[in-house]
Amino acid sequence: MPTPILVVDDSVMARKMLIKALPAGWDVEITQAGNGVEALAAYRAGKAEVMFLDLTMPELDGYGVLETLQAEGLNSFVIVVSADIQPLARERVKQLGALAFVKKPVDPAQIEAILREYGIAL
Amino acid sequence: MNDQLLLTPDQRDALQEVTNIAMGQAGAQLAQILEVFVQLSVPRINITESSSIATSILQLVGTPQSVTAVRQAFSGTLRGEAMVVYDQNGCRDLADLMGYEDDIDRDSERELLLDVGNVLVGACLNGIAELLGAKLSFSAPTIMAEDVEVGRLINPQQLTWNYALLVEVHFTLEVRDFTCHLMTLMPEESIVALKSALDAFMENL
Amino acid sequence: MTESPADFIVSEINAGIFMLDRQYRVLLWNRFMAQHSDLDAETVIGRNLFELFPDLPQKWLVKKIDSVFVLKNFAFTSWEQRPYLFRFRHNRPITGGIDYMRQNFTFMPMRNAQGEVEAVVVTLLDATDSAIYQTMMQAAMRKLEESSNRDGLTGVFNRRYIDTRIFDEIQRIGRYQAAPFSVVLLDLDHFKRINDTYGHLAGDEVLREVARRVLPGLREPDVFGRYGGEEFILILPQTDLEGARSAAERIRFAIGAEAIVCGEQHIQVTASLGVASFLPPFSSAAEVTQAADEALYQSKHNGRNRVSVYPAQQSQTG
Repeated sequence: MPTPILVVDDSVMARKMLIKALPAGWDVEITQAGNGVEALAAYRAGKAEVMFLDLTMPELDGYGVLETLQAEGLNSFVIVVSADIQPLARERVKQLGALAFVKKPVDPAQIEAILREYGIAL
Repeated sequence: MNDQLLLTPDQRDALQEVTNIAMGQAGAQLAQILEVFVQLSVPRINITESSSIATSILQLVGTPQSVTAVRQAFSGTLRGEAMVVYDQNGCRDLADLMGYEDDIDRDSERELLLDVGNVLVGACLNGIAELLGAKLSFSAPTIMAEDVEVGRLINPQQLTWNYALLVEVHFTLEVRDFTCHLMTLMPEESIVALKSALDAFMENL
Repeated sequence: MTESPADFIVSEINAGIFMLDRQYRVLLWNRFMAQHSDLDAETVIGRNLFELFPDLPQKWLVKKIDSVFVLKNFAFTSWEQRPYLFRFRHNRPITGGIDYMRQNFTFMPMRNAQGEVEAVVVTLLDATDSAIYQTMMQAAMRKLEESSNRDGLTGVFNRRYIDTRIFDEIQRIGRYQAAPFSVVLLDLDHFKRINDTYGHLAGDEVLREVARRVLPGLREPDVFGRYGGEEFILILPQTDLEGARSAAERIRFAIGAEAIVCGEQHIQVTASLGVASFLPPFSSAAEVTQAADEALYQSKHNGRNRVSVYPAQQSQTG
């Protein structure tokens, strides 16, 4: 069965870049969301076993999504994908329950390494 | 307006994302200089007519207030000018965070504003240029205006272009009410160059 | 040996070019640098810049150069903030009025194939001429501004300037809770009669002489000007009503002490004065000058050649 993954970013191009960077041969069912509110709806619909989450977004930002997930009992592997490369940003999202942090522009090798480390993909 | 100047939704989205990535690098450098956490904004992009530039800038800054601004020109694949706009608190906070007590003199304050402006402009525009495979060089930053009403930063009568692309990002600090805006302005011929660079970038994805 | 055009230009251009590695050792030193520093390329190449030039602001310059290596970005310095880094002589030794060459620097990252910054190229542009022009222009601007602030006849400040100064004082009080200022209005008694009797030229001389007699008695921060016709105004920063009253009395005495000599004529002149302080509930320039004007009217009404203050109860509210 394919893994349901959710790609959250306000930029269509950023989502495209990320999807292109996913390991070839990983059997996935991809859902996309353009902001935090859409992301939470997709998560509640069970579309997000793995979530790739941008931080700066209109409506509800990535921090807001993480906070909500944490408050409701997190049940998703969240990988934050952000242009914000301050060490403190990395620390904060980890404290909010994110599994890993990937900086933009995304490096496919780094994504694969993370997925392997947590035994998510083959 | 000539339709060739309008960005397609895809180009706009790509420019916003590229700017976002570049801004992340600029923000990280600012954070390193000031040793505080810097909050990034969602980049705002619009095409502005020269006669309404003052209104556009005022809208981006938000409230009519007195500001100090640094300007810096860039040239190469893309040509234009970048402005870094600091409000009154911004100037004082910057000096404060850099460890100056109340004793900062006028020249040191100007040097500080120029240096920080140069770092933000350089990081942000080099970031964009690198992603788009463009080459840029920069002129020395200069103080554009001190303690001037936002709406009067640019005198529309002195402008030689009709339309320009205006890209705005702003950096805020959690600990203080510091905000500074980085605005990049590119005239018509650069918009065309930027559009084809964005198209090439998207094609290579 | 033939040089490449690029080498030739770097060497001969009338601007300083040099290059530093990560340890601030000199890698390149063009002729301009050699000439102005009296140190040729062979002497400096391979040596640490700060050992060669101990006068350089090392701490600051290290930060600047390091930022180029780390941020991979251009950096700049302008003579307007930092007049010079190297103590070089300039080409206006006689007429310059400036000690060392004014210098603008650009620091450029030079990247290797891997994109790492290997060296910093520094260019030095001589900005001495701009600096001299700017100094001259600023002096001219100051003079122009000064002359537009002055009353043409007496040389004291004019009404326009006085009005902006009152406004500034009010701002200052708002911002720094500075002590209140006072305003003295002064009107020459029977000036029309002087004009009618002795002529307008004599009248003009009287106005000039009154200004000359008032000025020596003022403190440095006081601002004295002609408010129109035969009326003068004095702003006394950080002065209460009592202080302003005694200043006004001294001025009244200085004006009336001796007759003014004008050609063959000896003209006796007196003045009436009105004093008010900027205290609550006043909030505008108009209110405080209006109050001083009311006091001035009291002086006229009570027989001239005297000082009156704006109603005494006001001084107790401050």
